[in-house]
This record gives sequence, C-alpha cells and structure tokens, in this order.
Amino acid sequence: MTTGQTEYPLKILLVDDDPAEHLLLRRTLEKVDGPPIELEYVADIESAVECVKGGGIDMVFLDNRLVPNNDFRETAPQLRHAGFIGPIGIISSDISGSYFQEFPEFGVDFRINKNEIDRAAISFIIAEYTRNQLSDNCAEDFS
Amino acid sequence: MPEAAYHLGTELGRAVNRMDFFRLFKALALGQGFQHFVLFEVGGEDEGINLRNPHVLHNLPDSLIDAAGGRPLGAGDELLAACKPSTAAYGVAPGAGASRILDAIGAATMIAVPLHTVAARRYCLMMLGDRGLPEHETLAVVALDAALIFQRYHDAILSLDSISGLNDREIQIVRWTSEGKTSAEIAIILGLSEHTVNSYIATVLRKLHVVNRAQMVASALRSGLIA
Repeated sequence: MTTGQTEYPLKILLVDDDPAEHLLLRRTLEKVDGPPIELEYVADIESAVECVKGGGIDMVFLDNRLVPNNDFRETAPQLRHAGFIGPIGIISSDISGSYFQEFPEFGVDFRINKNEIDRAAISFIIAEYTRNQLSDNCAEDFS
Repeated sequence: MPEAAYHLGTELGRAVNRMDFFRLFKALALGQGFQHFVLFEVGGEDEGINLRNPHVLHNLPDSLIDAAGGRPLGAGDELLAACKPSTAAYGVAPGAGASRILDAIGAATMIAVPLHTVAARRYCLMMLGDRGLPEHETLAVVALDAALIFQRYHDAILSLDSISGLNDREIQIVRWTSEGKTSAEIAIILGLSEHTVNSYIATVLRKLHVVNRAQMVASALRSGLIA
C-alpha cells in the first residue's frame, strides 16, 4: 500500500443509517492488508459533523441517502462547512442517478457502489487518497 | 456475445476521476474471471512497471507492492518484455517460474492489451488470474472494452497534461496560492478536500511545465492567467 502524509492508523468514519453496513464494512476492512485502519460509525449527519469537528478523522464514507436528508448534495457540504478537508466518498446501492455526476461540485472525492466495496477497492481508495501528489520541492512555504 | 460489455453503458460516459476508472477496469477484469489488473505506461527500456507513475491503475495485492519496496515492478520479467513489441492483444499461460509477477500473485494466466494515445504514448492493460486462456472472440471483446475505457481515461485524465490553459477551478486555486494560502486553507475556502486541491495543483504544475508553487504563481502571473 502506498502511503502518503497520513499517520497510521488511518481513521475512517462511516455515516450510514443502516447499522448492518457498519458490520459489513468492518468485516471488509479486517481483510485489508497493510497498516491498521480504525473504523468509526455514526448513523446521521449531525453526529458526523460533531465527529469531524472533534478531529482525527482521515476519511469519510458517506451513505448517499440518510433519512431525513435527500442525498449527498445536502449532507456532504455540511461536513465541508464543519472544516473537514479529508476525502469524502459517497457509498450507495445505486449510483446510476444522473445527479451523481455533480459530486465534485459538492466537495465529494469519489462515489462507489456498495457492492463494489471489497478489499481491493479499499486498498485502492486508501492508496489513492493518502498519497502525496506533490513532490518535496512543492512545499507550502514558498515565500 | 461475452458479458464483458455489460458495464460500458452509462458508467463509461460518467467516469470522471481515477476512482471511476479503477472501478471500470476492475469490473472488466473480474467480469472475465481475472482477479487482478494493472494499467501502466510502457517505457522504452526494460525497467518494469513504475507504480509511482501518477497514471498507473491497478488492484495488485499489497504484498506484491510492498515486496517491490518502491522499485519498478517486474524489471526483467519476460512477461513484461513481451508486451513491448506487441500491438495486438494476446494471452499467455506460461509455465511455473516463467514470470515472477504471475508466481507472486499465484496467477496462471495473463492477457495483455496494448493501448495507445493520440500522442503516441504507449500503455498496456494486463489482466492476471487463474482462469484459462480466453477464446479469441472473448479476447477481441476485452480488447475493445479496454480500448473504450482507455479512450475515456485519456480524455478525462491523461489529456489534461497537454491541454493548454487553466479551467476556472484551477485559476481559483492558483489565485489563492498566490495569496499565500496553503492547500488545507484553500480546501476550507472552496469546500473541497485537501487531496482535491493538491490534485489540481499537480495538474497545473504539469500544464505550466513548472515544478513548485512559486514557479506556478510566477508563470501564471507572467502569462496573465491571474492578475
């Protein structure tokens, strides 16, 4: 697994109103090789906002439809407004809706169908979204 | 008709980032009974697969990548060398010990689909697994599917390096960088992830042929992209 700037263990927050999804994702994460991953779980966007405000969350898997919200277009921006700058991935049992094409405009990094989430997909997501894309000579302080 | 084309409907046209293309190539591989795939740029020398190339996509097992230790994968491997002179898709089922890559992941069969960009850059999609060699008809469909996905990957991702000019989001990010904002600060301002901001910066660096933020801002100022 390619590692970037993230300090391990990587902490992933799952936001899903179906507790069964928590169990399924936990079992999938246990199969992933490499550095340890901690999984936090909340069932609604209000709890998720409080969780990211508390700090320490590296990545969020956000269920598309969280009752009573409509879809990610209502929920993902709440995490961004709370100051969360880690990757947000939308997970759903159906990502075929045309509105999914708008995901970059709502601060979302990727979308994935729940039945596509397996060990390989998790490994790719972690490698892709924790790698340092900029070389060492691209430091922040360039003054 | 083999089932390889099942995912090339709306999903193909909607793919916009590397995660989407990872999903498409993975679906193509799994749909044909291959457990692993790797899309890589074919170099001129026998240097193996550079997994640090930002355009490489794969679902190779972590154990194989960790064993490579950051070095190119499969340098000197006959399986890789065979794809260099090839311009047509082919499959091989080498005997045990003939390929370190196949042995390392316990695969028995590999198919390779050479792919090319309009700028004559060469790529190859390899699929590896423990199924038997596909029939020619299946191989032809896989090659077509791979070419269609790759063409979209080129249009959405690879071609960004050669497009001149910056889009609105890129200009926003260069402008905030010129104000001394860090990637994290820009992410908060624009409601994006830091990863996305750095991704935009990396693209701008390649477009402007510069290597750091100071040069990026100076180049953008000189060319009038920002005031």
